[in-house]
Amino acid sequence: METGEMLDQKILLYMDQLELLQGRRASLNALIEQGWFSLSKARYSMGNKHVSSLQYASEMEPQVCVQTRTGDSDAVEFSTERITVQRPSERVQDATPVEDIGPKEEGVRRRIKAKDISGQEERAAATEEKVQTTEPPSASRSNKCDQSPQADPLKWFGILVPQTLKQAQSSFRQVIELSAEIATLQAAVMKTREELKLGMKLEKH
Amino acid sequence: MAGRGKLIAVIGDEDTCTGFLLGGIGELNKNRKPNFLVVEKDTSITEIEETFKSFLVRSDIGIILINQFIAEMIRHAIDAHMESIPAVLEIPSKEHPYDASKDSILRRAKGMFSAEDFR
Repeated sequence: METGEMLDQKILLYMDQLELLQGRRASLNALIEQGWFSLSKARYSMGNKHVSSLQYASEMEPQVCVQTRTGDSDAVEFSTERITVQRPSERVQDATPVEDIGPKEEGVRRRIKAKDISGQEERAAATEEKVQTTEPPSASRSNKCDQSPQADPLKWFGILVPQTLKQAQSSFRQVIELSAEIATLQAAVMKTREELKLGMKLEKH
Repeated sequence: MAGRGKLIAVIGDEDTCTGFLLGGIGELNKNRKPNFLVVEKDTSITEIEETFKSFLVRSDIGIILINQFIAEMIRHAIDAHMESIPAVLEIPSKEHPYDASKDSILRRAKGMFSAEDFR
Protein backbone atom coordinates (compact mmCIF):
# COMPACT_ATOMS: atom_id res chain seq x y z
CA MET A 1 0.00 0.00 0.00
CA GLU A 2 2.80 2.37 0.93
CA THR A 3 4.64 1.68 -2.31
CA GLY A 4 1.42 2.36 -4.21
CA GLU A 5 0.95 5.71 -2.51
CA MET A 6 4.55 6.61 -3.20
CA LEU A 7 4.07 5.72 -6.84
CA ASP A 8 0.96 7.89 -7.01
CA GLN A 9 2.88 10.81 -5.58
CA LYS A 10 5.70 10.25 -8.03
CA ILE A 11 3.27 10.21 -10.94
CA LEU A 12 1.72 13.48 -9.73
CA LEU A 13 5.18 15.00 -9.42
CA TYR A 14 6.04 13.71 -12.88
CA MET A 15 2.91 15.33 -14.35
CA ASP A 16 3.67 18.62 -12.60
CA GLN A 17 7.22 18.60 -13.93
CA LEU A 18 6.00 17.87 -17.46
CA GLU A 19 3.46 20.68 -17.26
CA LEU A 20 6.11 23.09 -16.04
CA LEU A 21 8.45 21.96 -18.80
CA GLN A 22 5.76 22.54 -21.41
CA GLY A 23 5.12 26.05 -20.08
CA ARG A 24 8.82 26.94 -20.11
CA ARG A 25 9.14 25.51 -23.60
CA ALA A 26 6.32 27.74 -24.83
CA SER A 27 7.98 30.86 -23.42
CA LEU A 28 11.36 29.80 -24.86
CA ASN A 29 9.83 29.37 -28.31
CA ALA A 30 8.11 32.75 -28.07
CA LEU A 31 11.35 34.46 -27.01
CA ILE A 32 13.34 32.86 -29.83
CA GLU A 33 10.70 33.97 -32.33
CA GLN A 34 10.90 37.48 -30.96
CA GLY A 35 14.70 37.36 -31.31
CA TRP A 36 14.51 36.26 -34.95
CA PHE A 37 11.99 38.98 -35.70
CA SER A 38 14.33 41.59 -34.25
CA LEU A 39 17.26 40.09 -36.18
CA SER A 40 15.26 40.27 -39.40
CA LYS A 41 14.36 43.88 -38.71
CA ALA A 42 18.03 44.67 -38.07
CA ARG A 43 18.96 42.92 -41.32
CA TYR A 44 16.36 44.98 -43.15
CA SER A 45 17.81 48.24 -41.89
CA MET A 46 21.51 47.30 -42.07
CA GLY A 47 21.55 45.29 -45.26
CA ASN A 48 21.45 41.60 -45.98
CA LYS A 49 25.19 40.95 -45.67
CA HIS A 50 25.66 42.96 -42.52
CA VAL A 51 23.91 40.51 -40.22
CA SER A 52 25.40 37.15 -41.10
CA SER A 53 28.00 34.64 -39.99
CA LEU A 54 30.62 36.62 -41.95
CA GLN A 55 30.49 39.23 -39.21
CA TYR A 56 31.57 36.86 -36.44
CA ALA A 57 34.79 37.88 -34.72
CA SER A 58 37.95 35.84 -35.21
CA GLU A 59 38.50 35.80 -31.44
CA MET A 60 35.65 34.94 -29.09
CA GLU A 61 35.33 34.43 -25.40
CA PRO A 62 32.10 33.43 -23.72
CA GLN A 63 30.24 36.05 -21.71
CA VAL A 64 27.95 33.52 -20.16
CA CYS A 65 28.63 30.12 -18.69
CA VAL A 66 26.62 27.32 -17.12
CA GLN A 67 27.15 26.09 -13.59
CA THR A 68 26.12 22.53 -12.93
CA ARG A 69 25.45 21.01 -9.56
CA THR A 70 23.63 18.02 -8.20
CA GLY A 71 20.49 19.01 -6.34
CA ASP A 72 18.73 17.41 -3.38
CA SER A 73 16.96 14.85 -5.55
CA ASP A 74 20.22 13.79 -7.26
CA ALA A 75 19.10 15.47 -10.48
CA VAL A 76 21.54 17.84 -12.17
CA GLU A 77 20.72 21.53 -11.88
CA PHE A 78 21.90 24.07 -14.43
CA SER A 79 22.22 27.78 -13.85
CA THR A 80 23.66 30.48 -16.05
CA GLU A 81 26.22 32.98 -14.92
CA ARG A 82 27.41 36.10 -16.73
CA ILE A 83 31.18 36.47 -16.88
CA THR A 84 32.16 40.07 -16.27
CA VAL A 85 35.90 40.29 -16.55
CA GLN A 86 36.82 43.93 -16.82
CA ARG A 87 40.42 44.60 -17.68
CA PRO A 88 42.19 47.69 -16.36
CA SER A 89 42.54 48.99 -19.91
CA GLU A 90 38.79 48.72 -20.41
CA ARG A 91 38.20 50.52 -17.17
CA VAL A 92 40.36 53.40 -18.38
CA GLN A 93 38.44 53.57 -21.63
CA ASP A 94 35.11 53.36 -19.90
CA ALA A 95 36.06 56.35 -17.82
CA THR A 96 36.52 58.50 -20.96
CA PRO A 97 34.03 57.18 -23.46
CA VAL A 98 33.85 60.41 -25.46
CA GLU A 99 36.95 61.84 -27.09
CA ASP A 100 37.84 65.32 -25.78
CA ILE A 101 38.34 67.88 -28.46
CA GLY A 102 39.93 71.29 -27.73
CA PRO A 103 42.35 72.63 -25.14
CA LYS A 104 42.98 70.46 -22.12
CA GLU A 105 43.36 73.37 -19.67
CA GLU A 106 40.32 75.26 -18.64
CA GLY A 107 40.17 79.05 -18.27
CA VAL A 108 42.06 81.81 -20.07
CA ARG A 109 45.50 81.08 -21.48
CA ARG A 110 48.28 83.62 -21.77
CA ARG A 111 50.19 84.18 -24.96
CA ILE A 112 53.89 83.43 -24.85
CA LYS A 113 55.95 86.58 -24.31
CA ALA A 114 59.02 87.24 -26.45
CA LYS A 115 61.50 87.13 -23.56
CA ASP A 116 60.14 83.87 -22.29
CA ILE A 117 60.54 82.13 -25.63
CA SER A 118 63.77 80.31 -24.75
CA GLY A 119 62.29 79.00 -21.50
CA GLN A 120 59.09 78.02 -23.22
CA GLU A 121 60.98 76.14 -25.93
CA GLU A 122 62.72 74.06 -23.30
CA ARG A 123 59.43 73.30 -21.60
CA ALA A 124 57.76 72.52 -24.91
CA ALA A 125 60.56 70.11 -25.79
CA ALA A 126 60.16 68.43 -22.41
CA THR A 127 56.40 68.06 -22.82
CA GLU A 128 56.84 66.76 -26.36
CA GLU A 129 59.16 64.08 -25.05
CA LYS A 130 56.61 63.24 -22.42
CA VAL A 131 53.88 62.97 -25.02
CA GLN A 132 56.07 60.74 -27.16
CA THR A 133 56.77 58.44 -24.27
CA THR A 134 53.17 58.28 -23.10
CA GLU A 135 51.37 58.08 -26.44
CA PRO A 136 52.40 54.66 -27.75
CA PRO A 137 51.10 52.67 -24.78
CA SER A 138 47.72 54.40 -24.89
CA ALA A 139 47.41 53.74 -28.63
CA SER A 140 48.27 50.08 -28.23
CA ARG A 141 45.89 49.91 -25.30
CA SER A 142 42.97 51.17 -27.36
CA ASN A 143 43.85 48.78 -30.18
CA LYS A 144 43.97 45.87 -27.78
CA CYS A 145 40.62 46.90 -26.40
CA ASP A 146 38.97 46.99 -29.81
CA GLN A 147 40.10 43.48 -30.64
CA SER A 148 39.40 42.11 -27.17
CA PRO A 149 37.64 38.74 -27.43
CA GLN A 150 35.60 39.75 -24.39
CA ALA A 151 34.08 42.66 -26.32
CA ASP A 152 30.33 42.87 -26.70
CA PRO A 153 29.27 40.74 -29.72
CA LEU A 154 27.13 43.69 -30.84
CA LYS A 155 30.37 45.37 -31.91
CA TRP A 156 30.99 42.68 -34.53
CA PHE A 157 28.15 44.21 -36.48
CA GLY A 158 29.37 47.79 -36.28
CA ILE A 159 29.71 50.62 -33.83
CA LEU A 160 26.33 52.18 -34.45
CA VAL A 161 23.95 49.24 -34.57
CA PRO A 162 20.17 49.59 -34.81
CA GLN A 163 18.04 49.26 -31.71
CA THR A 164 16.46 46.12 -33.12
CA LEU A 165 19.80 44.29 -32.96
CA LYS A 166 20.07 45.21 -29.29
CA GLN A 167 16.54 43.91 -28.79
CA ALA A 168 17.53 40.66 -30.50
CA GLN A 169 20.50 40.39 -28.14
CA SER A 170 18.35 40.90 -25.08
CA SER A 171 15.83 38.30 -26.32
CA PHE A 172 18.56 35.73 -26.87
CA ARG A 173 20.08 36.48 -23.47
CA GLN A 174 16.72 35.62 -21.92
CA VAL A 175 16.56 32.49 -24.07
CA ILE A 176 19.97 31.41 -22.72
CA GLU A 177 18.79 31.83 -19.13
CA LEU A 178 15.58 29.97 -19.89
CA SER A 179 17.44 27.15 -21.62
CA ALA A 180 19.37 26.45 -18.41
CA GLU A 181 16.06 26.26 -16.57
CA ILE A 182 14.66 23.87 -19.19
CA ALA A 183 17.78 21.70 -18.99
CA THR A 184 17.25 21.46 -15.21
CA LEU A 185 13.60 20.50 -15.72
CA GLN A 186 14.52 17.89 -18.34
CA ALA A 187 17.02 16.32 -15.96
CA ALA A 188 14.38 16.31 -13.20
CA VAL A 189 11.82 14.69 -15.51
CA MET A 190 14.30 11.97 -16.49
CA LYS A 191 15.18 11.36 -12.85
CA THR A 192 11.53 11.02 -11.83
CA ARG A 193 10.96 8.71 -14.81
CA GLU A 194 13.76 6.40 -13.64
CA GLU A 195 12.38 6.38 -10.09
CA LEU A 196 8.89 5.61 -11.37
CA LYS A 197 10.16 2.75 -13.52
CA LEU A 198 12.03 1.30 -10.57
CA GLY A 199 8.98 1.72 -8.33
CA MET A 200 6.71 -0.02 -10.82
CA LYS A 201 9.11 -2.94 -11.12
CA LEU A 202 9.20 -3.29 -7.31
CA GLU A 203 5.42 -3.13 -7.15
CA LYS A 204 5.10 -6.03 -9.59
CA HIS A 205 7.40 -8.30 -7.59
CA MET B 1 38.98 26.88 -17.43
CA ALA B 2 39.50 26.36 -13.72
CA GLY B 3 36.68 27.85 -11.70
CA ARG B 4 34.75 28.85 -14.78
CA GLY B 5 31.48 27.15 -15.59
CA LYS B 6 30.67 25.13 -18.66
CA LEU B 7 29.83 26.40 -22.12
CA ILE B 8 26.64 26.36 -24.12
CA ALA B 9 27.10 24.91 -27.61
CA VAL B 10 24.81 25.54 -30.59
CA ILE B 11 24.15 23.60 -33.77
CA GLY B 12 21.75 25.55 -35.89
CA ASP B 13 20.98 27.64 -38.89
CA GLU B 14 22.62 31.01 -39.41
CA ASP B 15 20.02 33.08 -37.57
CA THR B 16 19.91 30.76 -34.57
CA CYS B 17 23.70 30.80 -34.24
CA THR B 18 23.90 34.56 -34.78
CA GLY B 19 21.29 35.13 -32.11
CA PHE B 20 22.95 32.94 -29.52
CA LEU B 21 26.39 34.33 -30.29
CA LEU B 22 24.93 37.82 -29.81
CA GLY B 23 23.78 36.56 -26.44
CA GLY B 24 27.45 35.87 -25.63
CA ILE B 25 27.88 32.11 -25.71
CA GLY B 26 30.52 31.97 -28.47
CA GLU B 27 33.98 30.65 -27.77
CA LEU B 28 36.98 29.74 -29.87
CA ASN B 29 39.33 27.66 -27.77
CA LYS B 30 43.13 27.41 -27.96
CA ASN B 31 42.86 24.97 -30.87
CA ARG B 32 40.48 27.46 -32.52
CA LYS B 33 37.64 24.96 -32.22
CA PRO B 34 34.32 26.80 -31.95
CA ASN B 35 31.44 25.78 -29.72
CA PHE B 36 28.93 26.33 -32.51
CA LEU B 37 28.16 24.99 -35.97
CA VAL B 38 26.32 27.02 -38.58
CA VAL B 39 24.40 24.51 -40.65
CA GLU B 40 23.96 25.60 -44.23
CA LYS B 41 22.43 23.94 -47.24
CA ASP B 42 25.69 22.24 -48.17
CA THR B 43 26.54 21.01 -44.64
CA SER B 44 26.59 17.22 -44.68
CA ILE B 45 24.83 15.06 -42.10
CA THR B 46 28.17 13.39 -41.32
CA GLU B 47 29.65 16.76 -40.42
CA ILE B 48 26.69 17.57 -38.18
CA GLU B 49 26.91 14.20 -36.47
CA GLU B 50 30.65 14.45 -35.94
CA THR B 51 30.30 17.94 -34.49
CA PHE B 52 27.50 16.79 -32.19
CA LYS B 53 29.58 13.84 -30.99
CA SER B 54 32.61 16.07 -30.47
CA PHE B 55 30.46 18.38 -28.32
CA LEU B 56 29.27 15.37 -26.30
CA VAL B 57 32.81 14.33 -25.41
CA ARG B 58 34.00 17.84 -24.59
CA SER B 59 34.08 18.22 -20.84
CA ASP B 60 33.69 22.01 -21.01
CA ILE B 61 30.23 21.91 -22.58
CA GLY B 62 27.18 21.85 -20.31
CA ILE B 63 24.27 22.37 -22.69
CA ILE B 64 23.91 21.65 -26.41
CA LEU B 65 21.21 23.59 -28.23
CA ILE B 66 20.18 22.13 -31.55
CA ASN B 67 17.50 23.09 -34.07
CA GLN B 68 14.84 20.42 -34.13
CA PHE B 69 15.00 19.90 -37.90
CA ILE B 70 18.76 19.27 -37.57
CA ALA B 71 18.15 16.97 -34.60
CA GLU B 72 15.84 14.96 -36.86
CA MET B 73 18.80 14.30 -39.19
CA ILE B 74 20.88 12.79 -36.39
CA ARG B 75 18.05 11.43 -34.24
CA HIS B 76 19.84 8.14 -33.56
CA ALA B 77 22.84 9.97 -32.06
CA ILE B 78 20.58 12.13 -29.87
CA ASP B 79 18.52 9.15 -28.70
CA ALA B 80 21.72 7.30 -27.82
CA HIS B 81 22.82 10.10 -25.49
CA MET B 82 21.51 9.22 -22.03
CA GLU B 83 23.73 11.26 -19.70
CA SER B 84 22.42 14.41 -18.11
CA ILE B 85 25.59 16.41 -18.88
CA PRO B 86 25.71 17.80 -21.49
CA ALA B 87 21.96 18.37 -21.67
CA VAL B 88 20.58 18.39 -25.20
CA LEU B 89 17.83 20.91 -25.90
CA GLU B 90 15.89 20.91 -29.13
CA ILE B 91 14.82 24.35 -30.23
CA PRO B 92 12.67 25.54 -33.11
CA SER B 93 14.04 27.10 -36.27
CA LYS B 94 12.64 29.81 -38.50
CA GLU B 95 11.15 27.42 -41.04
CA HIS B 96 10.34 24.57 -38.70
CA PRO B 97 8.25 25.24 -35.60
CA TYR B 98 8.88 23.19 -32.47
CA ASP B 99 7.05 19.87 -32.39
CA ALA B 100 6.93 18.30 -28.93
CA SER B 101 6.09 14.88 -30.37
CA LYS B 102 9.54 14.77 -32.04
CA ASP B 103 11.52 15.84 -28.98
CA SER B 104 13.74 13.02 -27.66
CA ILE B 105 13.13 13.82 -24.00
CA LEU B 106 9.37 14.21 -24.33
CA ARG B 107 9.12 11.02 -26.39
CA ARG B 108 10.95 9.20 -23.61
CA ALA B 109 8.64 10.78 -21.07
CA LYS B 110 5.59 9.80 -23.10
CA GLY B 111 6.94 6.26 -23.42
CA MET B 112 6.61 6.00 -19.66
CA PHE B 113 2.90 5.38 -20.05
CA SER B 114 3.06 3.03 -22.99
CA ALA B 115 2.07 -0.63 -22.76
CA GLU B 116 5.73 -1.66 -22.83
CA ASP B 117 6.45 -0.03 -19.49
CA PHE B 118 3.57 -1.79 -17.76
CA ARG B 119 4.67 -5.26 -18.87
